[in-house]
Amino acid sequence: MKRSPPALLLLVAAAAVLWFVPFAWMGVASIRHNSAGAPDLASLLPSGPFSLDNFADAWSSGHFPLWYLNTIVLCGGILIVQCVTVSLAGYAFARLRFPGQNTLFALFLLQLMLVPPILIVPNMTTLVALHLYDTLPGVMAPYFASAFGVFLMRQTFRTIPREYEEAALVDGASRLRIITHVLLPLARPGLTAFAIVSVTSHWNEFLWPLMATSSPSNQVLTVGLATFTAGAEAGSEWGVIAAGTFFVAAPLLIAFVVFQRRFVSSFTFSGIK
Amino acid sequence: MRLQLALAACLMTGTAHAATDIDLFFPVPVQGKLANEMQRLVEVFNKDHADIHVTASYTGSYDDTNLKTHAAIAAGKPPAVVIMSANFVREYVINDEIVQLDGLIQKDGQTADAFMNQFWPALKLNATEQGHVYGVPFQNSTPLLYYSIDAFRDAGLDPDHPPVTWQEWIDAAKKLVKRDGTTTTRWGLMMPGTYDYCGWITSGLAMSNGGDFYNTGYGGEVYYTQPSTIGAVRFLDNMVHKAKAMPEGVTDANAVTTAFFQGRTGMMILSTGSLSFVRDNMKTPYRTAFLPRAMVNAAPIGGASLIVPKGNTPEREAAAWTLVKWLTSPAVAGGWSRFTGYFSPRIAAYDLPEMKTFIADHPDAKVALDQLVYARGWFSTYNVVGVRKALEDGVQAVLSGKATPEAAMAKAQQEADALMRPYVEQTALKVPE
Amino acid sequence: MQMTAQPAILPRSKSRPRTRPALTACALLLPSALFLLLFTYLPVFKVILSSLTVRGFRGAAHYGTDNYIRLFADQHFSTAVVNNLIYAAGTIVPSLALALLFAIALKETTRLTGVLRTLIALPMLIPLVAAASLFAFIFLPNAGLLDYYLAALGLAETNWLGDPSLALGSIIAITVWKNCGYYMLFFLAGLVGIPEDLLDAARIDGAGPLQRFFRITLPLLGPTLAFVLIIATLNALTQVDHIIVLTQGGPSDTTSMILFYIYQQAHQNFDVGLASAATVVSVGFLFALSIVSLRSLERGIHYEA
Repeated sequence: MKRSPPALLLLVAAAAVLWFVPFAWMGVASIRHNSAGAPDLASLLPSGPFSLDNFADAWSSGHFPLWYLNTIVLCGGILIVQCVTVSLAGYAFARLRFPGQNTLFALFLLQLMLVPPILIVPNMTTLVALHLYDTLPGVMAPYFASAFGVFLMRQTFRTIPREYEEAALVDGASRLRIITHVLLPLARPGLTAFAIVSVTSHWNEFLWPLMATSSPSNQVLTVGLATFTAGAEAGSEWGVIAAGTFFVAAPLLIAFVVFQRRFVSSFTFSGIK
Repeated sequence: MRLQLALAACLMTGTAHAATDIDLFFPVPVQGKLANEMQRLVEVFNKDHADIHVTASYTGSYDDTNLKTHAAIAAGKPPAVVIMSANFVREYVINDEIVQLDGLIQKDGQTADAFMNQFWPALKLNATEQGHVYGVPFQNSTPLLYYSIDAFRDAGLDPDHPPVTWQEWIDAAKKLVKRDGTTTTRWGLMMPGTYDYCGWITSGLAMSNGGDFYNTGYGGEVYYTQPSTIGAVRFLDNMVHKAKAMPEGVTDANAVTTAFFQGRTGMMILSTGSLSFVRDNMKTPYRTAFLPRAMVNAAPIGGASLIVPKGNTPEREAAAWTLVKWLTSPAVAGGWSRFTGYFSPRIAAYDLPEMKTFIADHPDAKVALDQLVYARGWFSTYNVVGVRKALEDGVQAVLSGKATPEAAMAKAQQEADALMRPYVEQTALKVPE
Repeated sequence: MQMTAQPAILPRSKSRPRTRPALTACALLLPSALFLLLFTYLPVFKVILSSLTVRGFRGAAHYGTDNYIRLFADQHFSTAVVNNLIYAAGTIVPSLALALLFAIALKETTRLTGVLRTLIALPMLIPLVAAASLFAFIFLPNAGLLDYYLAALGLAETNWLGDPSLALGSIIAITVWKNCGYYMLFFLAGLVGIPEDLLDAARIDGAGPLQRFFRITLPLLGPTLAFVLIIATLNALTQVDHIIVLTQGGPSDTTSMILFYIYQQAHQNFDVGLASAATVVSVGFLFALSIVSLRSLERGIHYEA
């Protein structure tokens, strides 16, 4: 019975096609120019005319280069700091024994639940007090510690045999050196998994960056797209919106299709087997 | 050593020529053309003013711009100039967050009255508080009736005589409806019913129905349960549920324009600020007309004024004022009006030859201008977004057939009163004992 | 599962004092702890304090429970709570059921299942605001994608986001579309852990497909299911991006959620007291959820590992 029954597979195949329809429309609408008022506006197989004008319009309407840059800085900045904090803390929970360890670990894990969007109100006042409001570091700061990352790194470190670090300890290496030179290279799969999850979630985040910044020079892709979709008084040009959405969504979609196995194993944590 | 000297020289000339950096927050419709035109205007300004450097920042919808301005002020980083939805200005005054402009006007050797007289009279209400100037009108609009000539002909209506009264309006809407079995292939009328738009249009109908809708002199009172407002909401209810000429539920502006372009609605109510957008995208002939009247012709002012938040340095404030005057000068204001469809608040803009030609060539824009005679203030109160939403939740419930106009408005009034309560208690109700 | 028995810290040379591991741990945990303190624990105390601070217009602030009294009397809040409960049930049950169905159907790795898995997983990679931009058009009455193709089936135009009785359902549909693929991945990983010979044995014993599913697959997927359930609950409470873009909680509050309510009070009505009180209520709920679920969260991740 290894194979799924054909009827079930057919059903799921139909569902999968349905799941893809919004992307198909995004593609079709973005290459279709001047379609306002066309009766087949929603058709997935329209008659044309086709052009890349919507992409040009979208690119010039938004500040896409700036938004890309800010998003990359945001994701990169968070990830770099996180790598440090989660490696150190992950090591401490994996290898050391100290009083209050379990309580402390539970306290850490609380952050899995108390995500920054829920704490917008108090976090905003903290940012203002630290003079970090409306700065990219301000958007990043609440994510510098990651309970999920600590957890993942603890698990990863535990799978690494102790013999490696024992040898280094005997040679008189410091703990920091052991972590950076012995354990981290061995923990690469875990770190990669964490990096993929971290970058995906921050690339896609909206509410917190929307609230923590006000100057358009600090906008990220999602915030830019929202101002783009919801204009002031006039109507929307659907083709331009589709093209803008494509710009925002494309990088991760492409990365996913190319590095699919990596992504899938990262999301399910099985990368640390 | 030489290097150091050169460096020092550089630094010195640098400071001597340092321009005052100011930022401008602006909301415009989504189309890139408008955002690009604003950036172009700012570049022209920067070129003409060596001592000022303006950075224009697109901040999304009117509500988003309000939110971002509030947040920036709270964080101690106020922008120098904001193009602010005109009905929010009062709340900034109440909260003491924007600069009273009388002083800057007087420095130029003008009185506040003389200054305001350069703008259409209807704009005064939203730009001043108790005789003091707080906002300078920049891009303004009123709701307008757009109708398709083909649809009118098809329904046996005369495109030269659009509906003028509510009776004619609902009759025309009924005739325009086209059904194919159970599906409606063409509606008589569509209007945006989403937050912000919904309150604006309802206020216009209430004013046309003889009411004031809100207390123009004091930010603590709205008149949602007055007969004029109830009647206006009842009229919308009839349009949907009795005449069945308007779709049930809430339609957003995108859906309204898309339907108009596709010929699926004979008429729509939309801002004059959308004139250019409609002109560019509507492929069949259309015209515009006044918002039909119940008792009197009336249309609420919409659009935005330039404000200068408090907390800027005197240099930045002065630079901001220079930008404000430049943006509202007849030539610039006229050009922006022709580009966007908003009417120019500056009366003198219409004396310029290019504006005269434009109005002669674009009868749809002329209608918007003519309607200005009947324009009223845009409702503005303490806690205005919440107060407006209270009304809109009620109107939306009526449009969806979930509440009667009377019940919906009674609830809206109660909610609005609760939201304005803290202000009212500290102002109108705080009397000497 | 394979890292169960870890030996305690190995004996060290006698010269090292006993406090050493604790000190080292402190140093290693400090960076994380600092940021957790600043942006997770401290905010909880701050928001509790702020929820108990009563501010008036131009009046001095004082302490009291007025904000909570106002919050629980506020119909918009109770509407948001009810909507959120409906939204949670409406998103969690179908997304988990569909995800499980997809995972079982696509369990085998073939070229076809690979493509189908990708198609279903794609939505999880785009921002919720991007999904909202796409669905703004899909849900457009008459002209939109959905109505255009439904019309071919003879269905009339529908105001998906503008009809109060449909709006929440439409928002739920977006969420199911978006998250289902994510949950499917967990189930796929979970299914790998179920020994094939167990299922074979059951089949030889004459158990039908449904029986095998309910007797073997589902119980063995238990930890994965618990884990996904918690994530889905968390998502239902903390993701409102599509509401901000598409409906602003309307029409007439029918798509307002707790977090959207907080956002609205804090940033549209500038009522920090109400926003803080509502935040405390949600934090309380999440705290309770953590206590109930920490064990299964930990087990869930263990299991996958």
